[in-house]
Amino acid sequence: MSAYTNEQISHLVDGTLDWDTTFRMLSMPKDQQRFVQYLAALQEKVSFPDRIILPLGPHLYIVQSCQDKRWVTQCDCGHVFGDYRENWKLNAMIHVRDSPEAMAEVYPPLMAPDTQWQVYREYYCPQCATMHDVEAPTPWYPVIHDFEPDIETFYQQWLQIPLPERAN
Amino acid sequence: MQRRSIVQVMGIDAGGTMTDTFFVREDGRFVVGKAQSNPADESHAIYHSSRDALAHWGRTVDDVYPELVTCVYSGTAMLNRILARKGLPVGLICNKGFEQIHAMGRALQSYLGYALEDRIHLNTHRYDEPLVPVSRTRGVTERTDVQGEIVIPLREDEVRQATRELLEAGAQAIVICLLQSHKNPRSEQQARDIVLDELQQAHARLPVFASVDYYPSRKESHRMNTTILEAYGAEPSRQTLKQVSDLFSKYGARFDLRVMATHGGTISWKAKELARTIVSGPIGGVIGAKLLGEYLGDDNIACSDIGGTSFDVALITKGNFAIKSDPDMARLVLSLPLVAMDSVGAGAGSFVRLDPYSKAIKLGPDSAGYRVGTCWPESGLDTVSVSDCHVVLGYLNPDNFLGGAIKLDVARARKHIKAQIADPLGLSVEDAAAGVIELLDLTLSEYLRANISAKGYNPAEFTCFSYGGAGPVHTYGYTGGVGFKDVVVPAWAAGFSAFGCACADFEYRYDKSVDLGVAQHASAAEKVAACQTLQEAWSDLALKVIDEFVLNGYQPEDVLLIPGFKMQYMGQLNDLEIVSPVTWASTAEHWDRMVEAFETTYGRVYATAARSPELGFSITAAILRGTVITQKPALPEDPDAGPVPPAAACLGTRPFYRHKKWSEATLWSMEGLKAGNHIIGPAIIESDATTFVVPDGFATRLDKHRLFHLSQLQ
Repeated sequence: MSAYTNEQISHLVDGTLDWDTTFRMLSMPKDQQRFVQYLAALQEKVSFPDRIILPLGPHLYIVQSCQDKRWVTQCDCGHVFGDYRENWKLNAMIHVRDSPEAMAEVYPPLMAPDTQWQVYREYYCPQCATMHDVEAPTPWYPVIHDFEPDIETFYQQWLQIPLPERAN
Repeated sequence: MQRRSIVQVMGIDAGGTMTDTFFVREDGRFVVGKAQSNPADESHAIYHSSRDALAHWGRTVDDVYPELVTCVYSGTAMLNRILARKGLPVGLICNKGFEQIHAMGRALQSYLGYALEDRIHLNTHRYDEPLVPVSRTRGVTERTDVQGEIVIPLREDEVRQATRELLEAGAQAIVICLLQSHKNPRSEQQARDIVLDELQQAHARLPVFASVDYYPSRKESHRMNTTILEAYGAEPSRQTLKQVSDLFSKYGARFDLRVMATHGGTISWKAKELARTIVSGPIGGVIGAKLLGEYLGDDNIACSDIGGTSFDVALITKGNFAIKSDPDMARLVLSLPLVAMDSVGAGAGSFVRLDPYSKAIKLGPDSAGYRVGTCWPESGLDTVSVSDCHVVLGYLNPDNFLGGAIKLDVARARKHIKAQIADPLGLSVEDAAAGVIELLDLTLSEYLRANISAKGYNPAEFTCFSYGGAGPVHTYGYTGGVGFKDVVVPAWAAGFSAFGCACADFEYRYDKSVDLGVAQHASAAEKVAACQTLQEAWSDLALKVIDEFVLNGYQPEDVLLIPGFKMQYMGQLNDLEIVSPVTWASTAEHWDRMVEAFETTYGRVYATAARSPELGFSITAAILRGTVITQKPALPEDPDAGPVPPAAACLGTRPFYRHKKWSEATLWSMEGLKAGNHIIGPAIIESDATTFVVPDGFATRLDKHRLFHLSQLQ
């Protein structure tokens, strides 16, 4: 098991960590401290004051609101998508590509899927327009709820670190 | 005054951190010198290293260099240049539609050099940057099919256009590699001539490398990589070697500098195919072991080289080492003949860690390298290495590591072992450290044993040679219980690779793919036809070999040509390399003798019962080696001084921990011991560069050639 500096973890988050260290991280058992360091590195980079509980994507987090200790899904820009147990996508701006013309914007000719069978649903932040996710379902499929993390078990039993306070 | 013995042979091992030189006198005495490497000007480091070595004899570079008869260089500069992607900007001309092939590479190149765990762990797979970017690659219309038929002739104007574009893109060398050119070289030769003509018209003096002129072997990726390597890595090396050669001339040297090559021979620095000098250090050891084996009358040898990061094993059977024809180096598949060696990533500097979940001790795969371990406070390391365990247990002398060049801190190593290994396992520091050593010894001896028995051999028929800087510390550990006929540790174990390089023949070797298939009961006419094709290939290769020697001032009649071939049972996958029993192939009888030689070897390597002549025979490659006579280092011959070591050689005792108890090991100075001396363990024999551990239950005898023979007491 190796130990890494906060600086290295910060480079890892940015994708600028040198290959040798990245390779060692990949091939060794995961170091116990990594998650805490990882959160600290993320916290450094965001502009909001709320505490990050779990990252969900490159610009999306479950955070503990600094005002009322409620856990919510939140964008980089601070926009709140609602309770962390709810599907945040339902509160996002959605752009659906369901026509050959719309597909032609992102694919070379003849390379796009048939929109009778498959459409793209792009989810954007209504405040800063960051794209948070893209789904490629059949046209009639409901909005997918990707991930319902069991944060209590993850913190207390897997990582054995104290669970932050939660008001909701 | 006593007449001074002439210094005849010099070996150079220019590594990444240290440049070692090795000088041998006519009487077999040798000295080893060390100096910090200087990648900017290697000749500098070689000069300083030579001065360091010759000071032991009170002699200077000025009076020794002119005496030298032969000098062999091996180094890692080319390999490092490839790894760091600091080679010549090369332009590549290939078939149209295949421009991305080199950049995509072979899938296995994404995990070459990885430990098994990482090979099966897809996340770690990674493609290195290609040697030639797609922006400097041009495709030309041409197609030769697998039978060698030209299906689409080469379009000359496209080649001219490509040449001009590559020049514009900044190419400083042009490589041409067309599909199936090993089968029919015509299109590629045509392309080469057009490129040369176009360059001349543009008044550009660029070297041009056509794959058929260098490595006419099947396997497209291998051939392309190797030809690119020649332009990308080897051309700059030529400059380095010229500098070194000039240095020698400046000091009055009269020999021609030679370089260790992957096929186990040495070639001139002026040689056309210099890419094959990319790896040479570890090969030196195998060549040295072969020569020592000849002195000792051992023709089956297991060569084991343990360094800081890896354990390399090579087998010499019936006086020959095996050659691998499509090895990988620097994470590239290549078509170069390479002395076959197997490596495992566990060495004396390997890091030791506990798996946080299973609490199992894990060795490597990374290592402390030159930073030794936590026992060296200046290393900046805080992960325990195998060396730390050695220091704690009294195997290594903390005050005389590398001849006292660095001081080791035993307390610091203890502290780290305690915190990282001993406490989590609930063991004492000694037992934890001893456990690590036992695990390493077991890993290595299992590996060694598996390497011998998996090839169908019995360890009892083998003599094991143990060398490398860290080899003698572990020799007892990985040879004990394997049951070797004899275990030999040369007193110059640390300089053994350099010594081996100096032992190598001046030898060129060229290979060419051929496709011959002859049934078991074929007619005489078919056999004659096959012989003709093979002989044509040999004659082509002979021209190349003789050209190389002529370049170095030899007459064609001085060159001893040794033809060989690769044969397999038709339809089987593995071929065997055979030294041809006939020097000229033209008749059915010649063919039968070649088949007989193949079947004898096949029976030895596999089993007599496994021979399958009913399948018929294929020849897949023609091989031609050519050598000239060179001076080789003599071995020292000391008078027998009896079994009792001189009192002056004894340096006292040191506490030594093994098998759960401390004992007092006698310390000996390696240089002080005399031929015939017998030492019973526990004992530690020290010299500047090497520590030889003889634990309880083992004994060693120094013979007249300054080789230690280690044996297990009953």
